[in-house]
Amino acid sequence: MEMIKFIIDGKEITCNKGETILNAALQNGIDIPNLCYNCNLKVYGACGLCLVEAEGVPKLLRACSALASDGMVVSTKTDRVVKARQTALELIMSDHSGDCKGPCSLNCPAGTDVQGYIKQIALGNDKAAVEIIKEKIPIPASIGRVCPHPCEKNCRRSLVEEPLSIAYLKAFAADNDLKSGDTYIPSTKPSTGKKVAVIGGGPAGLAAAYRLRLNGHGVTVFDAMPEMGGMLRYGIPEYRLPKKVLDSEIRLISGIGVEFKNNCKIGKDITLDIIRNDYDAVIVAIGAWKSSSVRCKGEELDGVLGGIDFLREVNCGNIPDIGENVAVVGGGNTAMDACRTAVRCGAENVYVIYRRTRAEAPAEDIEIEEAIEEGVQFKFLTNPAEIIGENGKVKTIKLQVMKLGEPDASGRRSPVPVEGEFEYLNVDTVISAIGQYCDINGFEDLQTSPKGTILADKFTGKTNLSGVFACGDVTNKGPSIAIEAIAEGNTAAVSADNFLSGKADITFDPYYSEKNVTADMYEEIPKQSRAKMPVRSPVERKSSFDEVILSFTDEQARKEASRCLECGCHDFKDCRLIKYASSQEIHPECVSGCVHQSFNETKLSSIERDQGKCILCNQCVRICREDVDKGVIGLVGRGFKTVIKPEFNTQDTIGFCKNCGKCVEACPTGALKFV
Amino acid sequence: MKIIIGEGSCGIAAGAAKVHAAISALINDSDSFSIGSTGCIGMCFLEPIVEIRNNGKVLRRLVKVTEKDAPNICKSVRENNFSLVDYLTIKPEDEEFLTKQTRIALRHCGIVDPESIEDYINIDGYQALKKVLKTMSPEQVIEQVKISGLAGRGGAGFPTWFKWNAARQSQGKNKYLICNADEGDPGAFMDRAVIESDPHSLIEGMLIGAYAIGAKKMIVYVRAEYPLAIKHLEKAIEQAKANNYLGENILGTSFSCDMLIKAGAGAFVCGEETALIESLEGKRGMPRLKPPFPAQKGYLDSPSNINNVETFANISWIINNGGEAFAAMGTENSKGTKVFALTGKVVKGGLVEIPMGKTLREVIFDIGGGIKGGKKFKAVQMGGPSGGCIPESLLDTIIDYKALGATGAIMGSGGMVVMDETTCMVGMAKFFLDFTASESCGKCVHCRIGTKRLQEILTRIVNGEGRDGDIELLEELCYAIKDGALCGLGQTAPNPVLTTIKYFRDEYEEHIKNKKCPAGECAALIKYSILPDKCKGCTLCAKKCPVKAIDGQVKLPHVIDVKKCIKCGLCYSICRFGAIIKE
Repeated sequence: MEMIKFIIDGKEITCNKGETILNAALQNGIDIPNLCYNCNLKVYGACGLCLVEAEGVPKLLRACSALASDGMVVSTKTDRVVKARQTALELIMSDHSGDCKGPCSLNCPAGTDVQGYIKQIALGNDKAAVEIIKEKIPIPASIGRVCPHPCEKNCRRSLVEEPLSIAYLKAFAADNDLKSGDTYIPSTKPSTGKKVAVIGGGPAGLAAAYRLRLNGHGVTVFDAMPEMGGMLRYGIPEYRLPKKVLDSEIRLISGIGVEFKNNCKIGKDITLDIIRNDYDAVIVAIGAWKSSSVRCKGEELDGVLGGIDFLREVNCGNIPDIGENVAVVGGGNTAMDACRTAVRCGAENVYVIYRRTRAEAPAEDIEIEEAIEEGVQFKFLTNPAEIIGENGKVKTIKLQVMKLGEPDASGRRSPVPVEGEFEYLNVDTVISAIGQYCDINGFEDLQTSPKGTILADKFTGKTNLSGVFACGDVTNKGPSIAIEAIAEGNTAAVSADNFLSGKADITFDPYYSEKNVTADMYEEIPKQSRAKMPVRSPVERKSSFDEVILSFTDEQARKEASRCLECGCHDFKDCRLIKYASSQEIHPECVSGCVHQSFNETKLSSIERDQGKCILCNQCVRICREDVDKGVIGLVGRGFKTVIKPEFNTQDTIGFCKNCGKCVEACPTGALKFV
Repeated sequence: MKIIIGEGSCGIAAGAAKVHAAISALINDSDSFSIGSTGCIGMCFLEPIVEIRNNGKVLRRLVKVTEKDAPNICKSVRENNFSLVDYLTIKPEDEEFLTKQTRIALRHCGIVDPESIEDYINIDGYQALKKVLKTMSPEQVIEQVKISGLAGRGGAGFPTWFKWNAARQSQGKNKYLICNADEGDPGAFMDRAVIESDPHSLIEGMLIGAYAIGAKKMIVYVRAEYPLAIKHLEKAIEQAKANNYLGENILGTSFSCDMLIKAGAGAFVCGEETALIESLEGKRGMPRLKPPFPAQKGYLDSPSNINNVETFANISWIINNGGEAFAAMGTENSKGTKVFALTGKVVKGGLVEIPMGKTLREVIFDIGGGIKGGKKFKAVQMGGPSGGCIPESLLDTIIDYKALGATGAIMGSGGMVVMDETTCMVGMAKFFLDFTASESCGKCVHCRIGTKRLQEILTRIVNGEGRDGDIELLEELCYAIKDGALCGLGQTAPNPVLTTIKYFRDEYEEHIKNKKCPAGECAALIKYSILPDKCKGCTLCAKKCPVKAIDGQVKLPHVIDVKKCIKCGLCYSICRFGAIIKE
């Protein structure tokens, strides 16, 4: 056999004469994207992904059919090729109706594989579930308790009746794993010899530290507080997240070799410069620890406290003297934590002052509900006008009565004062829970936003300093929820890892297909209500910091997990279409139009076809005809309306199907599956 | 004397068969004249056409003949008094439509009786075949075709000799010569005319080709929508077999060759040669990847050569007259003549065969007589859905593969659709994309989804829902489709869009930015109303309106209810007082 030599992407390769460019490339370990190519079948040439450019050839070549010739110079990555592939992917995706990932996962800032771990929980495999969760969240027992669970907001089960109780299921599995005596411990990669400093041991810092350590780097976490956990420890009250749960999860992180240095404040105990000198990369995750003031007359009075300052003191075991009457200003989760903590500290009358109504309050509804159960009095549509003191100490709070006006930019109706209407409350303490901001002393070399947060790249966490990454509440838009901090910690870790190993960052949002659904599509699913988490009685709660929630029973949890509709594609992990579509920036929305609706084609014995996911690569048709010699299915219709159906669009051919499954195996997407 | 009726499909559609029957019924046994048929005479705008011939010489050519004219015609022939049919006789300026042409491929069309092999033989038919079989080697045949400079007339314009030579060189026992008669371009009908009117020319041309490449089997892939062509060709094949022009040991030589017809089911893509082969093999008509080219591995994996009808129709002329004679016509890189199907808003529509090198202006204005109704020329679409439009400013472009290609249009199979100022160019692009999007075979992504997206964007533009950036998006998609589509259909489908954007960008912008259709054609963007001071209250519009959208009392101004109006434009066209305006 005559051999030839040619060049692909600067690499010289040798192959038999008569070999196609694609085959030669694949044999030499060079991946040229392709979807309709199958080495066991005749070349087809439909997908347009394998287009390459050859020097001296004006047209782009299909690598699957163009023959390699001696001395040829082929490029698979020129702008023209990338653009052509991008268009092909955008066109395919513009006519792809299916969910790559479940909507739960897409709405999780960390992109946790919710469907994956819920399935394991349904099957009773808690350890396997934890393994999946920990791909994204190193502290699932803690996060499962405190997360406002954006995943549940997107849960399609709400089109049937109610969303799945995803967060509590996560906590359930993680608790079981911790108690099991066979707790999941991930294996770390061999040491890289590189050292990374993580500044701040909150959720963002811990997530980054965990991920970097798993990748074989030496990781040290510096934290100003006596113990790790950040806001989870010092901001979240014990009754929501028991410290022993957090402790055991943090212990696992130290167990894989992450070093902790507490009581070490940057700018005071050590400088950023020194850390940068001593470490190969630095992650800054110092959070937002300053409480915003209430911004009205009297805010300087004794007895006016910051929300997170108050919570931190209580969490440290220093219960302040707040008196009998306490006003908490704000409508968010911190306000709820503060008012409910105040109840537990013995206050008789706890008021929440919020300038809008319950409907607009950003706090979780369950938190408001439980606060009311615990006796908290909500003063909606009021706003502090003045804190009136006596002898330098808070005595009364004067409240401006508000009403809702026109919707603002966020769509919420903005509160406007009702001229001349005021209320007065006699209080001993005013707790301001209207926001937090960052203290970046010691990080002056980092570029900041007008808000005073550190500017970090959205896709990489990179700051203006080389090798310094930032994540969590201290960056960009400021404080947010813990899972977002964890997501950013993961991103910064990936980017730092790339930085240390010289790999390229991904600087775009990978595309995932999403299906348009309506409630009527779920009419046939039997209704089964959401599992209710058992909680302690309000009376018991008011006088104790014991955890409010109890736990799902095993039976409850398995049943709840089995409510999952499994929206995400069964083939997501093996799908070659999404592999290519998510590996470069694409915008199918630019070429949006008519879409083949996702529905399941008449079953071929036990094989089901989702027309919405079929990309007409024709591999199934060809394998059935060329390899199995049956010809059960074929292309029907022309143009955009072309679909794959039983050959000649008649059911008669179905009888020939012998369920060999070769079509399912060949399908590059999740269009075919056994049922 | 003979009365000959032009009975191609076009003539029949205009009523030629009825005229034939009417005349036939009036001929007595005592009459010294007879009646006969010929194919397409080529002047669609004058059909039905009847000729009074004596010994093959046309004495009178009568046009727009109806059944009512039959008695006059018979009487005039009987009495040898043609003044009786003066009123039907073609005007000299219309005669120019034919006299200004140079007919090679169409040389027998409208002259011979397509159902008579004798007619064909009488005008030196099958002489070229004799010459080839008895005096020339296959190589010499290919050499003559090479000298002639003949290029594929189906659209691609690839040198015919090169394909023949490749097939000749290709090793393989069973070679096939295939004729592509799947003429699918909207507005092109020259292939139909040749088969219907002169089927033996096609058979003779194909036989010469088969001899040249060494094929023993010939297949004509003809669209089933051409029943008359199939009928005439079937008859011609029978006659040729009976006369030993087809079959074993043709004309006593060792050359044997068979011919069969395969009717296509009407998919446009089957005009693409590899899709045509798939279809011949009984598979779904979808293009194959090239290489291998059909010359190496074609029909049933055997070396195959595919040419278009018009290409074959030139062959016997080239053999009879020599390649040089053919090459003497035309331009440096486009030799011979080309047939165009001149249609649209032109005064004289029909088949026009002219030497390459003439300008578009000569074809449209000198031969075609310019634009109907005194309107202004706007553009001409060349090459059907794969082609492009050429604006007024480029009317002096010569007909030549290269020169036409430079405008963004193509020679194509010869479709020439003339448009006037009332044609919306965005709507025109949409028309062709509607066609290609639905005719895409569905195989490759770029064509299947890409043309659909182009069509959707064009649809929203003509509906007044165009968005900023749509023009750029169209262009971007067009170039991507040209680059990525698998076959000629997809690769050329964007041409109508690209050329209309190139030459009429302002019209696109007007639709998108101001929601106006300058040509007044896009229904969603126009509004009809009645000028009260001009309306006489004649009630004609109200009576004719198909949706009863016009109301008013006699002798008082009428009003159009815009909610009911479907913008058919009927009122606008029938109002005698110019009282209805279109905005």
